[in-house]
Amino acid sequence: MATKLLASALRQTLNKKTTSSSLHRCLSTAAALTTAPPSQNDEAMTIKGLKISARPLYLDMQATSPVDPRVLDAMLPYYLARYGNPHSRTHLYGWESDQAVETARSQIADLIGASPKEIVFTSGATESNNISVKGVMKFYKEKKRHVVTTQTEHKCVLDSCRHLQQEGFEVTYLPVGNDGIVDLEKLRGSIRPDTGLVSVMAVNNEIGVIQPMEEIGKICREFNVPFHTDAAQALGKIPVDVDRWNVSLMSLSGHKIYGPKGVGALYMRRRPRIRVEAQMNGGWTREGDKERDSAYAISGGNGRGMRAGEEGDGERLLNGVRAKLDGVVVNGSVERRYAGNLNLSFAYVEGESLLMGLKDVAVSSGSACTSASLEPSYVLRALGVDEDMAHTSIRFGIGRFTTEEEIDRAVELTVQQVDKLREMSPLYEMVKEGIDIKQIQWSQH
Amino acid sequence: MASAAISRGEVLHLYRSLLRTARQFCDYNIREYTKRRTIDAFRQNQNLTDSAAISAAYSDGKSQLDVAKRQAIVYSLYAPTIKSVMEA
Repeated sequence: MATKLLASALRQTLNKKTTSSSLHRCLSTAAALTTAPPSQNDEAMTIKGLKISARPLYLDMQATSPVDPRVLDAMLPYYLARYGNPHSRTHLYGWESDQAVETARSQIADLIGASPKEIVFTSGATESNNISVKGVMKFYKEKKRHVVTTQTEHKCVLDSCRHLQQEGFEVTYLPVGNDGIVDLEKLRGSIRPDTGLVSVMAVNNEIGVIQPMEEIGKICREFNVPFHTDAAQALGKIPVDVDRWNVSLMSLSGHKIYGPKGVGALYMRRRPRIRVEAQMNGGWTREGDKERDSAYAISGGNGRGMRAGEEGDGERLLNGVRAKLDGVVVNGSVERRYAGNLNLSFAYVEGESLLMGLKDVAVSSGSACTSASLEPSYVLRALGVDEDMAHTSIRFGIGRFTTEEEIDRAVELTVQQVDKLREMSPLYEMVKEGIDIKQIQWSQH
Repeated sequence: MASAAISRGEVLHLYRSLLRTARQFCDYNIREYTKRRTIDAFRQNQNLTDSAAISAAYSDGKSQLDVAKRQAIVYSLYAPTIKSVMEA
């Protein structure tokens, strides 16, 4: 009965003329009743104690991106009839899954100018980063005892480095300038004879600045040190080429580029060969040269998602906000940045209040309230952003599916909210009167 | 390459079919993207003269249309109960 209803619903959509706007709400209730998860009332839903009547516009593409329908379309067959394990060598199910994995592998290789043999599938960029940092150092531990990285790396790289330190390795955490860019001379100076790895991310996940990859690659070549980069936020957004950057290892992620969640890839150079110690045993055969079992099905869609071309435009947002507000600071370099990641601080506004007020815009912030810790973002601190400005920072992430109308709406809502909060703020009033608030001696209670 | 040259009518039909299918997406962002992507792709290819290139672009468009038709259905099956603020 249920299948009958579903089938008739499907036929209906296929035949329906597309004139009425009601179509957008989609389909007959029969389909909703038989297939949809339990539905709430049509007007609003309550979650975390908030009554929500519309889905916020999504500007958090650095957290994760929506799955492209083309990716989903490529993946679905492998969740239905073609469910084989690619390692099954004895039957059709295995063969067709294997074929899908190999197709995905060569698509990814094409994207970064590598050979398919150099791509290994992982559970995500976090695993790729862990394998790279810990795996390389542990493999070469007899001779190499030192790692160079930056203070603005992703948590998983920094945590892997801390782990290495506990095991007796040494790590140099390079500072970055006010613009978030690493100083090449400092990098050069930090390399020692026993340096086993340099790890610098290509595009920063919080502030969107692009590191000088080619130049870092040249320095690494000069000293013959393997270069690892976390390119999860770079692929599909800036040109990525493993030879031009001279990287030995590169971490990639599916869900940052409209691909499947829970799938990543690791590029490992063959010439000259870089070796790693496996971080997980059994899933990888032949010294970790095989993809993990679990990754096979979804990886069918992976290559498709990564074939990105069209990307977000933060200029429109920045210009929109700047046209109507003063005291707006872009965190990180203005010139060397990926335009779809815009991290702004709004002076004289309390960060948490701003986020609460922006409930129709899904964004993320460098202030304490959105993360587990009470400290403001360590990335912003590394840039030397004042604590008060770090607390009011908001990251706007624009992507392939963001419309210009959404950006304009986001500008409008942000301006409205900032104006409102500044109107109530005694600090802002004092600044307007010409008082330098940095000179004020606040009394302790 | 046995296939005959693609007629102007066929191309226009494909274009309209893609736009029509785009409108069937219940998701605001996917709907707008599909429209935008369709228009961009046809504009980008409007000056193609080589018949092999035209038929390659045409068959690519055809397969994208199939994807869009399937996915419009999938999306509708799991449509969230509340709309985007952009449509509310």
